[in-house]
Amino acid sequence: MVAKCQVISLCRSLLRAGRKYPDYNIREYTKRRTLDGFRMNGNLTDPSKVIEAYAQGKQQLEVVERVLKVYLAYAYPPKTNHIMELKV
Amino acid sequence: MASKAIFSTLRRSLTKPNRAVSRRHHLSTSSAATASEPYAGDEHAIVMKGVRISGRPLYLDMQSTTPLDPRVFDAMNASSIYDYGNPHSRTHLYGWEAENAVEVARIQVAKLIGASPKEIVFLSGATEANNTVVKGVMHFYKDKKRHVITTQTEHKCVLDSCRHLQQEGFEVTYLPVRTDGLVDLEMLREAIRPDTGLVSVMAVNNEIGVVQPMEEIGRICKEHKVPFHTDAAQAIGKIPVDVEKWNVSFMSMSGHKIYGPKGIGAMYVRRRPRVRLEPLMNGGGQERGLRSGTLATQQVVGFGVACELAMKEMEYDEKWIKRLQERLLNGVREKLDGVVVNGSLESRYAGNLNLSFAYVEGESLLMGLKEVAVSSGSACTSASLEPSYVLRALGVDEDMAHTSIRFGIGRFTTEEEIDKAVELTVKQVEKLREMSPLYEMVKEGIDIKNIQWSQH
Repeated sequence: MVAKCQVISLCRSLLRAGRKYPDYNIREYTKRRTLDGFRMNGNLTDPSKVIEAYAQGKQQLEVVERVLKVYLAYAYPPKTNHIMELKV
Repeated sequence: MASKAIFSTLRRSLTKPNRAVSRRHHLSTSSAATASEPYAGDEHAIVMKGVRISGRPLYLDMQSTTPLDPRVFDAMNASSIYDYGNPHSRTHLYGWEAENAVEVARIQVAKLIGASPKEIVFLSGATEANNTVVKGVMHFYKDKKRHVITTQTEHKCVLDSCRHLQQEGFEVTYLPVRTDGLVDLEMLREAIRPDTGLVSVMAVNNEIGVVQPMEEIGRICKEHKVPFHTDAAQAIGKIPVDVEKWNVSFMSMSGHKIYGPKGIGAMYVRRRPRVRLEPLMNGGGQERGLRSGTLATQQVVGFGVACELAMKEMEYDEKWIKRLQERLLNGVREKLDGVVVNGSLESRYAGNLNLSFAYVEGESLLMGLKEVAVSSGSACTSASLEPSYVLRALGVDEDMAHTSIRFGIGRFTTEEEIDKAVELTVKQVEKLREMSPLYEMVKEGIDIKNIQWSQH
């Protein structure tokens, strides 16, 4: 059975990893999708479903961290900011 | 006298440097006033093709292509490294592993459209699939069937293949569309002849985004026993697609429109009732003999994962994209008048919004919108400034067709990007309309179409 603190810790790790993406769109999408995903599965009571959702979440965390390493390794194109990141 | 001279030299020596300093200050403030650099950190501005943009533009062109989803990228990476065997090698482990990966992807694609995995053929994209179906079916049945029906708003590859068939001696009927972009079903029914070999209607149009009434068209084709082909490149993963409900015999799919890799696509070829087609690529008989050639395993795997993701996220994405589309349309309509949506607003895929702004010159609008990556009605079809054939088929006037802009909203678009796009578009259109004498006349109430222009 998955404890509440484990779920919160998973959510926090996903959000923390997602914040590091260099690409604006993917960063925002990761944050939004994580929060919505946890919100949608927040009312699950069936223990097998909870374990399944938690396992999926853990798998997504692995994917996010793996892909992040590659995205950070290739800092391309260099030194240009997205319009939304520029301060007026 | 001497004191006067002393005082004057003293005054000169004291004021000169001050005057010089103030001139420099004056210059710097005036240049600061004329400089219109709104963003800090402009040293990283991008200068390309004579245009200077302060940062990477907002990507709102999801109909031309989509960025690669990180989860698809992850699957493709793993596959590129490890599945390097030829999937058609039957004799060793590397071939078996690659074949397994391809079969898994085939099941994922088939589940998205409600087909059996044996009916999916992988090829290089929707263009190749369209070419294979249109030319292949007609060439196979060339003795008995000499007629093809298609619409005027199809993708260029379908229209070009039909033109190629016309040069070979087949007859093609290009059905006109109504002003909302939908096909008239009565005209379709009348156009079908005993020797019609294929009906090709695209499910979601790439320029205007209208969704055709696929079930009704499928029913008509089933009545008359004519194979029905649809170009569903913009439709899969976005609207619910079911080959049984739509009664299609052939379907073209593309990978890079659903956050997958470029260079891969698939073709659905129905097995019950069996439809035959002549292959475009001859060779070793791979892919049921319909498309020979070694499959690019990592592209196929990426396409499969993209299809599976699209199936899981379809509802969530649809809600988000519909919300953003309403925000965009309402935001633009609040501040501007004379905004026309090209194509039906009800029967439409939410992620495609094609707007025409009246009394604005199209090229200058696009040149001013350099910080938003959008596509226009005319530029994407030809190098000349001829307005798009799709808009012309809808009956849109030439001047409105020139100012059409296609906003493409996708999974990764954010609300802030939409707000910024609205702000930039409204600013640009207002700026152009302020300069436009035609708009002044319209505001005074003069009807432009009934003016007698005098000759100078």
